[in-house]
Order: sequence, then C-alpha cells, then structure tokens
Amino acid sequence: MELANTLSQDGESRGGVLAHLERLETQVSRCRKKLEEPQSTQAVESALGTRIHELRRLRDKLRAEVKQHQARVKASTTNVEPDQTLEITEQEILKRKRENVKAILQAYRFTGISGKLTSRGVCVCIGTAFEGNLLDSYFVDLVMQKPPQIHHHSIPVFIPLEEISAKYLQTNIQHFLFTLCEYLNAYSGRKYQADRLQSDFAAFLAGPLQRNSLCNLLSFTYKAEPEGQSFPFCARLLYRDLTTTLPTDVTVTYQGTDALSTTREEQRAAHENLFFTKPLHQVFTSFASKGDKLDMSLVS
Amino acid sequence: MDSQRAEARALEAEITALRRACVEPPAPGEDTFRVRKSFREIYQADSEGWELSKDLRSHLGHLESELQFLSTLTGISIRHYSKKTEDLTSTEMTEKSIKKVLQRHRLSGDCHMITFQLEFQLLEIQNEESLSSVITDLSIIMEPTEYSELSEFVSRAEERRDLFMFFRSLHFFVEWCEYRKRTFKRFKEKYPEAVHLSEGASSSCMGIRSPSRPGFELVIVWRIQIDEEGKVLPKLDLLTKVPLQALELDKNGVIETAPLSFRTLLGVLGIEATLESLIKSLHTEASN
Repeated sequence: MELANTLSQDGESRGGVLAHLERLETQVSRCRKKLEEPQSTQAVESALGTRIHELRRLRDKLRAEVKQHQARVKASTTNVEPDQTLEITEQEILKRKRENVKAILQAYRFTGISGKLTSRGVCVCIGTAFEGNLLDSYFVDLVMQKPPQIHHHSIPVFIPLEEISAKYLQTNIQHFLFTLCEYLNAYSGRKYQADRLQSDFAAFLAGPLQRNSLCNLLSFTYKAEPEGQSFPFCARLLYRDLTTTLPTDVTVTYQGTDALSTTREEQRAAHENLFFTKPLHQVFTSFASKGDKLDMSLVS
Repeated sequence: MDSQRAEARALEAEITALRRACVEPPAPGEDTFRVRKSFREIYQADSEGWELSKDLRSHLGHLESELQFLSTLTGISIRHYSKKTEDLTSTEMTEKSIKKVLQRHRLSGDCHMITFQLEFQLLEIQNEESLSSVITDLSIIMEPTEYSELSEFVSRAEERRDLFMFFRSLHFFVEWCEYRKRTFKRFKEKYPEAVHLSEGASSSCMGIRSPSRPGFELVIVWRIQIDEEGKVLPKLDLLTKVPLQALELDKNGVIETAPLSFRTLLGVLGIEATLESLIKSLHTEASN
C-alpha cells in the first residue's frame, strides 16, 4: 500500500525514485529479517525434530539388524557345538551306561533274588513278601566251585536248608535258589499272619497265641465277638506243607462241656472252613467287620 | 531445545554402537575352531581325564559281567528299568519325623521264551522305629499269550500284588515247560514212528501210535498248572483212541481203566519212565 501510494504521487515524492528505492529496500530487508528470525529458532527446532525422528528410525533399523545378526551367529555356533560335545562327552555316555547297569542290578531285588559278586562266587539275597508287604530278606553266600558250596548264610535254622541244598545245589543252582525262595517266603507269610493276629486282634484272643518258630503250628482260643457273650472256640492250625501260607489241617473245637446248639455248630464248621481258605488275619478282619452276624456267604 | 539436542546426541551414540555390533563378532567358523582347539588342549593335557575314562570303562565292564552272571543265575534277564519317586511327606509328618515316599517302578525283560513288562507302585513309610514298604499296585503284561495257563495266574498275582510269587512261579513254569519239551523231543528222536507230536516239541500233547495197529492211539496230555498259591504242578492225563471192535473184545476193561492206571503208574515210576513204558508196550508189539 505504501508502495502504491508513493508511486501514484508522481513528482511530489521526497527524494524521488532513488529515495523510493531506498525505502523499498529497507522495507524488504525489514520484512526479510522479520521472516528470518522466527525461522532460525523455528527452523533449528524443526530441523532437530526431524533429525531426531530420522535418528530414531535408523536406530530401530540397526537394532533389528543386530538382533538378526546375533541370532545367525548363535545358530551357527550351536550347529558347531555337537561336534565339540561329541569329543568331551564320551565320558558322559559311559557314565550314563554305568548308571543304567547299576540301576538294573538294583532292580533285581524286585524279582526276589538278587546278588553281588564276591571273590569266591556270589552272595545271593533272597527277599520275602506277603500280600504286597515287603518283609525280611536273607542271604546265602555261595562259593562257586565245582561243586558249589554254601560259605555262610542267614537262613533260620528251622528251614530245611541242608535238605534243599543236598537235593539241588550241585545239579541245578537255579532250582536250589527258587526252592529256598519258596520256603522262606512261605515262612515269612505265616509269621506275618501270626504277628498280625497277635498285634491287631488281641481283643479277640482269650489267651496267648501258641506258635512254634517255624510258624507252622498255631494254637489259640478266640471269640468271634470280643465283647459278646459268645463262647470261645479253640483253633489249631497245622501247615504241613512248608511252602504254603494256608494251613493243611484245621480243627476248631468248642471248650465247654455241654453240647453245641445248631447255630453254634454251624458257626464252628464255618470258622473251620474260613481258616482253611483265608489268611489268618483276614479271617479275624471279617469277624471284626461282621460283628455277631457271621456272613455265611464267606463260606465258599 | 537442549533436551532435543541431548536426545539427538544420545541417539547418535547408540547408532554408532549398534553399527559396531553388526560388524564385531568374528565368522562362526573361526570362533569354534578356536574353541575346539582349546578343548582338545585341555583334554590331552589333563592326563587325569584319560585315566578316569579308563577306570570308567573297566568299572562298567565289571558291572556288566555281574549283570550277566545274575541273569544266568536267576534265569531272569532284566533289560529295562526306570523309577520315579514322589515325596508324599506332609508337614505334620515331618514334625513327627515320619517320611512317606511313593515310588513308581517300571521293569521289563524276559525269562527264557517269555517276556514280561511290569509296572508297580511301592509305598515306603519310615518312622522312628521301622520302615514299611508295601506294593500298592501291580500291573503285568506277558508275552507270548498262547500259554493260557498263565493269564489266570497273572491276574491272581496282580490282585495279590505279589511280585515275588510272580517271578517264582514264572521260573518254575518255564522250567517245567522246558522239561516237557526236552522229554517229548527225546522220545520223538528215540521212537520216531511211534511218537507223534502234533504241534512240535512245544505242544502239550504226545501221541503214541503203532504203525502195525492203525486206529489205536494213546494220547498223553501234559498240562502245567499254577494253583492258587502260585505252586506250579504238572498234570498228566491219558486219552485212549481205540477201534470199536477192540473195545468189544476188551473183557477186562483195560481200556476203561487205562487213565486211572496211568495215574498210578506215574506215581510209581515218575513221568519219563511211565511214558517210555507206554511207548514200549505199543512199540514192541508192533515189532513182533
């Protein structure tokens, strides 16, 4: 506007054209200065902002690249590792094999017969069990000569060891061991039954349990109901076969002098049958659970 | 603006570091070669390491021969065994110094021609006075399954959780099977025309024929049974196959009483002698 005004007033402007030009110049430079000043701070600021933006982008890109690179390096080194491990873990393989064999040797105890080599032969360990309960174990130290002999052992004296070894030790060691196993397991089982009767069912016994060391002859007086008024019965159990845990001979008698009533007689016969067919402590468990009503269905 | 400049500088520094990281690691090949070489050096330099390996080998050899010996001694070869242990001790139990542990065992192997696979659980309770170990579960798989006598026995053993009885009876069963096989084979070889084994030496029946007396046949059925207690017993029976005419001629009822006489003979002479006498009676008549 100023410009227009100065130009329209022909001849009457001060300084004429030069002055006019001067004035224009100062105006322009003033304008420019005005424009430039905010631009420098603004410009610098926005330039920085953009630069930061750019730097961030570059940094993120490089980060990703480095990650990839590291992954590649790791992959290639793990590919090489097996080679190294092959060399240094031959020991590991042997160690593992050894642990495996050791474990299997230990596992033999679950077959009932395990053993360890000795300088003379082998020390055999025979385990016994009854109804899943692992019981005592016994050992026999064998001298493996021709013929094999027993060096020493922990077999109880009432087990016919001499008989069994005379029959089988020289000709068939396996048969000798398993036969011994039979006798020992049967003895252990009978002992377990007698022990359980004495400890768990003392309330049913009217007197002490009479037993021999082989636990194949048991004699006791009992009541089928501990608190009841029932008469006591006398039981005598004989296990003629030393390789079994059930008796071969059972006699249940009534102690009183007067004759037994029919129900009592039935009971007596039923009890006899029970003792023949079930382990001793299980018979008393059934007495305890049935109370005074003897379940005839137990009689097979 | 200062914060911006600071950020810019920080970013620049990070970028330089990242650039370096992209370039730094040496080529994989180079690196592992170096590592391998150093391990080898360690290994060779460490003579103790070599000795340990030798000791390990001889120890392993000793253990393996012990295992072989045990396997021959018992007739049972265990091939695989594994065990898992679970501690069931509660805090109350620990206070009373009671320890309760459940072990799960897996065992497999063979006893002559029979292979077995067992899984069982063992519960161990340890208190101040004693340790009780109880098998609380038992499962058995056996092969081959054609020995029908065995399947009933296996379920009984599982029911009773009687692991030892299983192995004991298995051993005796196998022993009897082998004895039966040997006996049949021996007679077959000695009297090839008279003795007839329908299923080969592993069969449970042996037939005795006379080539000169067709129509007559004595069949010995030899079963191996396992009773309730796990006892293995042989059970032999005699079956007679006789033409009708001969039966009519048999005034004394010899044929009828043959099975019973057979049993008596078994008690007197034992298995082998009884069988041989039967074979001979038919055989010698034939050769006359």
